[in-house]
Amino acid sequence: MYVHSRNALACLAAAFVLSACDGRQSVLAPSGTDALSVFDLARVMFIGAVVLWLLVGTLFIYVTRINPREMSRRKAEILIVGGGVVFPVLLLGALLVYSLPLMNAPRLADEGLRVHITAEQWWWRVDYELPDGTRIPSANELRLPVGTRTGLVLNAKKVIHSFWVPALGGKTDMIPGRETFQSLQPVTAGVYRGQCAEFCGASHALMAFETVAMEPEDFAAWLEAEARDAQPPATAPARRGAKIFAREGCGGCHTVRGTDAVGQVGPDLTHVGSRKSLAAGILDVTAEDFADWIGHTDAIKPEVAMPSYDFLPREDLAALGIYLEGLK
Amino acid sequence: MKRVAQTLAVLATLAALGAAAVVGFGLYNVSARQGHLSGVGWALHTTFIQSVRLRAPEPSKIPQDLVDTDRIALGGLHFQSACAFCHAVPGQPRSATAMAMEPRPPHIKDAVASWEPQHLHWIVYEGVKMSGMPHWPAKAREDEVWSVVAYLEAVKAETSPTLPEATCAACHGTGGRSDNTHVPRLDILTPEQIAQALFHYRNGSRGSGYMQMIASQMSDRQIATLAQEFGTARLAAHPVDDNTTPGWLLANRGTDDVPSCTSCHHPKADAIAPAIAGQSQEYLKSQLYLWREGTRGGGKRAKLMRKAAQDLTDAQIAILADWYAAQRPPTPDP
Repeated sequence: MYVHSRNALACLAAAFVLSACDGRQSVLAPSGTDALSVFDLARVMFIGAVVLWLLVGTLFIYVTRINPREMSRRKAEILIVGGGVVFPVLLLGALLVYSLPLMNAPRLADEGLRVHITAEQWWWRVDYELPDGTRIPSANELRLPVGTRTGLVLNAKKVIHSFWVPALGGKTDMIPGRETFQSLQPVTAGVYRGQCAEFCGASHALMAFETVAMEPEDFAAWLEAEARDAQPPATAPARRGAKIFAREGCGGCHTVRGTDAVGQVGPDLTHVGSRKSLAAGILDVTAEDFADWIGHTDAIKPEVAMPSYDFLPREDLAALGIYLEGLK
Repeated sequence: MKRVAQTLAVLATLAALGAAAVVGFGLYNVSARQGHLSGVGWALHTTFIQSVRLRAPEPSKIPQDLVDTDRIALGGLHFQSACAFCHAVPGQPRSATAMAMEPRPPHIKDAVASWEPQHLHWIVYEGVKMSGMPHWPAKAREDEVWSVVAYLEAVKAETSPTLPEATCAACHGTGGRSDNTHVPRLDILTPEQIAQALFHYRNGSRGSGYMQMIASQMSDRQIATLAQEFGTARLAAHPVDDNTTPGWLLANRGTDDVPSCTSCHHPKADAIAPAIAGQSQEYLKSQLYLWREGTRGGGKRAKLMRKAAQDLTDAQIAILADWYAAQRPPTPDP
């Protein structure tokens, strides 16, 4: 029993340490202004709490063990009023002054770029809005420039979800019929994982996304590429995949800009091959994973809206995978 | 007290033995010639009437278009092929065989006389056990029964039309060019699509009281022949210019809940779905309701259509049926 619980404890500690090491989805590895200030606040609170605990403990030992004599009335009054009223008021007041403004940061206005994110079951509709009003639709991945504040206009289609990229900032609820707002300012380039943080149905746990923080010039180049139409399929298998894509009616739900596919029901696939993940953060962007996904949607993501194309022969699924993976 | 209980137990055992003897040794005479004992017939008939009155749907469920001539024609033709053997058609007597049934099926004129439309619907849909009256063969097709009720109401009002013999063309029109809004056109389908539908009706995976009645009696060969006769192998669709009518937009662009129809129902040769331009309006509507309910059978791709239709509103179903029915149907491609 003893050995058992020690093992469990070791596992827990390991899990804690490992998850913190990875850092892609951790509040302990902050990479955004807001996450950093929350992390700083947490550190101040933690260190402060430890110091106070030691202080009070030492005092307790002093008055009960080391010097257990009656105090003078004056001394006792100073200790009670000073330590019980003045010191906490000053300390808590200082903390309040320090921490209250921090709450404002996630609501700060954007510096030009706004991204409209709508939570669907179970994926993310993402739509970049440039200062001139241009809209660039995308899905299941968020890209942000490092150093500037980007506004996120959050909505939900049918049920409540919650937007959270732990490494960059706090959570914000996404509520059907009501727009909520959060802004994020990454400070170091990298890929951070986001996750729906409000139970939203059977595949809630499978509703994630990658957030890619990029240097401003890289981001500008990426956005320009994202705004372009899809590349026509380059190889013979990819061309066959494009044909199957059209034949099977995929364009009824999905948009591939520059083709006849203009559907609005599911994620935009114009540049799906250049994303970091497939099916909202749960599969890799490889031709094989595309084929697996299209053939077994229900098994991979329970109750998902997209039907499984399990009636298609493997060659057709493979060709579809090659076509989609090539949509860079 | 103990004696009373013992007597009752002995009597009960004797009664059970008697009942077992009646069943086991064939003592009860099931002869239809013999008829029921006096009083039994009355009890059974009263049970039937009261049961129907208790269980019939609300009168508010009765469709508005019960006097529609297309409904009456469809219901009447089905009546002729499925019901007339027992109940005869107005103006004709019942056959000697039907007259020899026990209970004797009433002539249709008398059968409908004392019922309201909702009662007729219940009787035709549910059937009446121990009377020979069958239930509607397709469970999910309560909607179809209303057309039979429309005909029965016309019989009651003595306005029922004289109908031709119930052949394929009697409902589906000459050459499959149906002009009955409740009956699909067949000339805009390929022989493969017609054959597939008939196979599905025959094995019950697609529900229709009308078509299962017909298809269940067909051989593979008959299905192939009819499919060739009514279908068109190569069809040329007529393109529609982009416009902003609600029908065009919904069919061609969809919404963020509804995929566009044209992504599968398109005019290209490799289309995975049948042509629906020019298809009969009420038929389209009824099928869209079935797709939305999830009760429409079909081939291996049927689940795509079930998903596509699951979020349609009643208003959208009406818009799509109206728009597609008004489109120019595809024509044979020489």
